[in-house]
Amino acid sequence: MREDDIIICRCEDVTLGTIRELIRQGYTTLEEIKRIARCGMGPCQGKTCTPLIAREIAAITGKDIHEIMKQNHRPPFGGITFEEIVSGRDEE
Amino acid sequence: MILEYDAAIIGGGPAGICAAIAAGKNGLKTLLIEERDFLGGQLIKQTHRFFGSEEEHAGTRGIHIADDLKAELVGLSNIDVMTSTTALGYYEDGILTALHDEKMVKIKPKSMVLATGAFERFLPFENNDLPGIFGAGAVQTLMNIYGIKPADKVLMIGSGNIGLIVSYQLIQAGVQVIGVVEAASKIGGYLVHASKLRRLGVPIMTRHTIKKAIGTDKVQGALLCQLDENWQEIEGSQKQVACDAICLAVGLTPLADILSQMGCETTFIGELGGIVPKRTADLETTKPGVFVAGDLAGIEEASAAMLEGELAGLNAVKFVTGDERVNERIHHLKGELHGLRAGPVGEKIRYGLAQLFEDSVITSEKIDSHEHDITQLAHTGIPAWENIDEKMPDEQRMIKPYAVIECFQEIPCNPCVFSCPFDAIYIPKEDINLSPVVNFDKCTGCLSCISGCPGLAIFVEQRNPEQGKGTVSIPFEMLNRPQKGDVVDLLARDGHKLGTGIVTRILYGQKQDKTAVITVETDIELVNKVRNIQLQGTDKKGVM
Amino acid sequence: MKNKADIVIIGGGIIGCAVAFNLAKKGMKDIVVLEKEFLASGATGRCGAGVRQQWGTRQNCLLAKESMTILENISDYLEEKVDIELKQKGYLLLSFSEKETKQFAKNLEVQHSLNIPSMALTPHQAQEIVPILNTEKIHSAAFCPTDGHANPFLTTEAYAKAAKKRGVEICTFTQATAIKIENGKIKGVQTDKGFIETERVLNAAGGWAYEIGEMAGLKLPVFSERHEILVTEKVPPMLDPMVMSFSFNIYCQQTPNGSFVMGHGPKNEKPGHNVNSTWQFLEAMAQKVTYLLPAIKKVRVVRQWAGSYNISPDRQPIICESEQLPGYYMAVGFSGHGFMLGPSIGVYLSELITGETPSYDVTLDLGRFARNEIIAEPSVV
Repeated sequence: MREDDIIICRCEDVTLGTIRELIRQGYTTLEEIKRIARCGMGPCQGKTCTPLIAREIAAITGKDIHEIMKQNHRPPFGGITFEEIVSGRDEE
Repeated sequence: MILEYDAAIIGGGPAGICAAIAAGKNGLKTLLIEERDFLGGQLIKQTHRFFGSEEEHAGTRGIHIADDLKAELVGLSNIDVMTSTTALGYYEDGILTALHDEKMVKIKPKSMVLATGAFERFLPFENNDLPGIFGAGAVQTLMNIYGIKPADKVLMIGSGNIGLIVSYQLIQAGVQVIGVVEAASKIGGYLVHASKLRRLGVPIMTRHTIKKAIGTDKVQGALLCQLDENWQEIEGSQKQVACDAICLAVGLTPLADILSQMGCETTFIGELGGIVPKRTADLETTKPGVFVAGDLAGIEEASAAMLEGELAGLNAVKFVTGDERVNERIHHLKGELHGLRAGPVGEKIRYGLAQLFEDSVITSEKIDSHEHDITQLAHTGIPAWENIDEKMPDEQRMIKPYAVIECFQEIPCNPCVFSCPFDAIYIPKEDINLSPVVNFDKCTGCLSCISGCPGLAIFVEQRNPEQGKGTVSIPFEMLNRPQKGDVVDLLARDGHKLGTGIVTRILYGQKQDKTAVITVETDIELVNKVRNIQLQGTDKKGVM
Repeated sequence: MKNKADIVIIGGGIIGCAVAFNLAKKGMKDIVVLEKEFLASGATGRCGAGVRQQWGTRQNCLLAKESMTILENISDYLEEKVDIELKQKGYLLLSFSEKETKQFAKNLEVQHSLNIPSMALTPHQAQEIVPILNTEKIHSAAFCPTDGHANPFLTTEAYAKAAKKRGVEICTFTQATAIKIENGKIKGVQTDKGFIETERVLNAAGGWAYEIGEMAGLKLPVFSERHEILVTEKVPPMLDPMVMSFSFNIYCQQTPNGSFVMGHGPKNEKPGHNVNSTWQFLEAMAQKVTYLLPAIKKVRVVRQWAGSYNISPDRQPIICESEQLPGYYMAVGFSGHGFMLGPSIGVYLSELITGETPSYDVTLDLGRFARNEIIAEPSVV
């Protein structure tokens, strides 16, 4: 096992090696890396991997962590089934 | 149907409950939303007595604080509580959606307090996806909420308060903790917690980290290494240890998703745990009427979360009603918060807040105000003899019982003062951060203070030079409690066996509230060395 | 960043990157692409990721078919091994009335004239392709097995990478702030990172096309409109094609990674750049999808977002050089189908810019509105 095989995003199985390669290719924002590698798109929506990826970006690029950590979040948090959405509507 | 409220509070932990109580008491139609099926948040996992100020629940176990707060909440009829309810999103038309009772409900609040708390950080190391690697909070949940023993032999990564407290609780649950690993040069949490572990024989390895989890289908061990001053691995320092679980207590990060989704401005402040909301001293975010409290506003102790919750709740009241009568209490709460953060352990939070309020000045007068050097304690969890000597009475006084308070680090805490029926314990300058002092003229050695100390740092000794004997009374919270008359192993501050002694007295009543006070008789030269006992043949110390 | 360019392309979506690649392949030097955020951060990256050839106008069918051919051979085409998650499991278009079925029949005729392998289906046949489909009110369906899905980020990135390899400078996080014009001629583009001297500009700004037009004093007949979309958790495969209905107003597809992506066209939406999400969208989508595909009612929505459709008067793109301002090219008004037309538009526009005879016989110029040559596309959500 090498360091590059360390899993960074456990939801989408993205490794440290993949993240580092993307950063080296010039993808130095969380938004880009997320869209290309899918990390942060799984059930936890990036709670675990975001700080780890930000740290890698900072380490490789020297970018300020304040800049890196700027990220948008999208609802609905925690997820909701279609059925549950419809049920809420039925009450009206 | 859209549910209308004066205040919606997201998160039913200590901050959220206190916010709800403050809002509800002042007449707001309030809704409290909690994701879990119970209120109390992290409080209900906390079996230890809380540090902090006596008037703010200190000295009470976390789980009991949760009960007290819940009782207060239930008494307020204008507060609706939705448990098992997840806030889903906040939309441009001012509607908050939540998943409640298998339905997406729509809520229109006039004001909001966000108190969503924090989540555990993860650490990248080889094999970190092996079964048997837990967050410390998860382990605490398994043990203290669901009664599940998570493993038999645990390695703890991280020596902050969570790592130290969970290690202690694991041992209480009969789990062996083989050691605590800390990358920094100093122990991160309260040193009294560290000392509790050390006298149970658990090693704390500062300047070490985990490199790799060992095992194929599950954790069977870990590979550790030592770090140099630049956090780089020291060659040849690798060391393999055996364990069946690795517990990560490497810090918390505010759960800020909803903030940024709502359009509240955030900023990254490492000292506060990561992304935090920009907010005023009144805890209002950049979105008027939206307040924050607790770990979401910056990682801190639960005692601060409760104060912030109330502060946010009162400001929501002011926002909705314009009622200025809450100002006095708001002023008081700000003072309390200031006090909690004034000492050395509050330094990080002060730096964090200083970045948040760009113009604020870090109150520097209290930094490094240690009168005594506690370097050894901070590195090892074991106080230096000169520290201990400072706490001792003179020799003639030792023939009568006296309290030794082994509390050297400046932390905001004062329950010991209130536990003494003879007013023998005081805190200099009434500064809650300073270490308590015993007035040996007043102290009778009555043992009352031992179980009242949240850090289990008070011991009562007595020496009888004529017989060459003495007694020492210690706090004891393990299941293998000895009986009066038992011969027990006597353990030193680092957990090593000093010899044996006879249990002469056990206090285990309502007053002690599950912290037994056990007195043992031993040779006079061991009196000041004994800080723990164990039933003979139950040796289970760390083995790293 | 270069301070002089043969052309400055404003917009790093599929169009900007595809045009840049094609121009570079033709040998043009000094091509600069300006993107104010990251590649595909606008409409491209926010779209439903569908690629279909079942259109109602000949030229849309042609452009879509040509695009699909490129996507099918993308690695050869870009001369680089790339994976754009192309999935060709078809588009199933649903008709809910006789009138709609008649329109489908007309569309099929047009499609068949271009050898697009589409077909009419009975509701029963539709259900064979999508067993989870509720056919209760479905009148008929149309299906093209070679339609499907491609990943917009990976496709845009693939184009960008190939363009960079051929010398294109792609400046992300660089915003065009002004277009300098002297005596009716373009002199350059001002950005927040410096000035680039150029005589040619391509407006490929997607949702911001109108504003980039205004920078050159042009009032382009386009506006932006919010369209919302959502994605679910990953679940095992249960829906092969994109299911779409114009009258029921929905599109829904399971992407190769297992999540469902779906959206609809908004009602009474005000023009503008608002791309906030709404809870009303969640409710409307949930209502529709649980009716049409009841089996996915227990799948969880994990994210919702919105993007801008840049809408033209006839819902067809406007691709031309400005008559008022020579050297100002525009690829605007894609009206929600820019991603799937991107590859062929990249070819077409590069030919326009270099003055070659276009490969495709299509009328996409701005002048069509004055000439009243408008053929509105009937098949849009």
